[in-house]
Amino acid sequence: MPLGNLASLRYFLPELAITATILLLVVLHVVGRNRRSPEAAILALVGTGMALWVAWMTPAGEGIGLFEGMVVLDGFAVFFKVLTALATAIVIFMSIDCYELTDRTQAEYYLFLLSVLLGMFLLSSASDIVMLYLALELVSIPSYLLAGYLKGKASSTEASMKYVVYGATASGVMIYGFSLLYGMTGSTQISEIGRVLTLGTAPLPAMLAAVMVTVGFGYKIAAVPFHMWSPDVYEGAPTPVTAFLSVGPKAAGFAVLVRFFYTVFASPDGADGMWKLSSSVDWPFLFAVLSAVTMTVGNLVAINQRNVKRLLAYSSIAHAGYMLMGFVLLTTVGLKAILFYLVVYLFMNLGAFYVVVLVANGSRSEDISYFSGLGSRAPFAAVSLAIFLFALTGIPPFSGFIGKVYLFAEVINRGVYWLALVAALNSVISLYYYARIVKVMFLEDPTQAGDLPLALVPRVMLAILVVPTLLLGIYWEPVIRVTEASVRILTH
Amino acid sequence: MANFVSSIQFSDPYFSVLLLLIIAVGMAVGFVFLSQALGPSKYDRIKYSVYECGVDPITSASVRVSVKFYLVALLFILFDLESAFLYPWAVLYRDLGWFGFVEMAVFVGILLAGLLYAWKKGALEWQ
Repeated sequence: MPLGNLASLRYFLPELAITATILLLVVLHVVGRNRRSPEAAILALVGTGMALWVAWMTPAGEGIGLFEGMVVLDGFAVFFKVLTALATAIVIFMSIDCYELTDRTQAEYYLFLLSVLLGMFLLSSASDIVMLYLALELVSIPSYLLAGYLKGKASSTEASMKYVVYGATASGVMIYGFSLLYGMTGSTQISEIGRVLTLGTAPLPAMLAAVMVTVGFGYKIAAVPFHMWSPDVYEGAPTPVTAFLSVGPKAAGFAVLVRFFYTVFASPDGADGMWKLSSSVDWPFLFAVLSAVTMTVGNLVAINQRNVKRLLAYSSIAHAGYMLMGFVLLTTVGLKAILFYLVVYLFMNLGAFYVVVLVANGSRSEDISYFSGLGSRAPFAAVSLAIFLFALTGIPPFSGFIGKVYLFAEVINRGVYWLALVAALNSVISLYYYARIVKVMFLEDPTQAGDLPLALVPRVMLAILVVPTLLLGIYWEPVIRVTEASVRILTH
Repeated sequence: MANFVSSIQFSDPYFSVLLLLIIAVGMAVGFVFLSQALGPSKYDRIKYSVYECGVDPITSASVRVSVKFYLVALLFILFDLESAFLYPWAVLYRDLGWFGFVEMAVFVGILLAGLLYAWKKGALEWQ
């Protein structure tokens, strides 16, 4: 029985912490004199840290429906809240000394960042299609603002424009799909929709609704063919924003994709950890095709990129493709693989973007030529980037390898061999463009004279990101146990 | 597709809507297409020029619209919806008591913060 409004507030503490921080940031922006003072960053960090800690401390147990069934608090939601809050905290550190953001108001930037975080919290735990739409827009709209944050730079404005138009269209199609589902089942609760759909329904509206909802969610995770916005947005936005967009909203998009499809279009199948389709809509096959196409397009286009930021953008599209592999298998083990991969992906991707931010701070550009000889100019950063890039490829003993092992193992266990083959070939292709950066860093002479000094905070942050990338490749047991506990999605 | 066509039931209450849709779209497309196919088309420079009260056109038609119109409309929508939420609360004020009052104060407070932000950013300036 879902709790009423007042009783739910007790369980809503992370979101309340973020909301209070956002309001304080608004006040700080209005009242503050010095644009570049670090108070806004500190406030944002404190708020995010508190939300992260409160979310982490949520007692594990049966899921609870909150706010009359709008939002649900289960292990799955808590996992994604912790993940997205951690990503936001790291991005805040990344933004502090970024050269692109130094002459813009700080409080406003963190205001938007935390608004996206609030949206991601709600998106991970939404159990009603109206709340789902609201949360998706709350994630998207501040992202539009963040993407276009650099007013003087034409590519930033263009990025924001493309993002707005694309996002509005995708959201519109998605909500049309939601309205079809409401029309078919008479309820806006996704558990109720799933229950009514298992009783049998006309195939055409169900298939149409599934496809339309796929448009909306596919846009959020940048799956092909809904990925058109991401290269331009990732290139035009400030680099910390790109890092944030490639990890946070993508993770939240996966959360809602899994929760929605596994509640509405599938139902638990008696046997432990298996699911079965609840209507005649064969969405796993659709997503398997999307996964293969996403991986392939992401990897093939990344080969030609000279701008490292754009290259990492395309590589994050490819990684969404890998993660979709775990989604099509209709087993709990597949979901566990996705969750584990999201954890290792967070550290690898944010780490890679962090080094790009540090290099761009010195050279004002992210072109690959500025990475030449980084091994001699900034050895710590270069080695960290090499670790992150090899982890992204999926080479042992780094954590990316373990993530891929879980995904591949489950795909092969379920017999979807063609998908595993496509993924393996794509991993090989990705090695080329990741290793090219490593080669340029260590085997070419520097084009820029002088060393690239790193302050203490970037060094510590890089260390914080490198350690899990190395450690999780050898000892990943605790993370896997957390994902096992988190995978039970509330379907009351 | 054949399954879809054969599954149309003529007794369905929405069948007339489908018929209306087909006829309306057919008429619209048909009129445009027929007039293009059957009508004469001789190009005349004066006939194709823009109508501006009978005199020769003075400026180009594509004028650049300032963004201030959009900002005013957006602010109106936001605060109009806020007042739309205030009306039911005002009607039931006595029954909701202190709890409703505090809840509404939080709501209005959050929107007040938004108003201060818009004020500071200069969205309320017309020029």
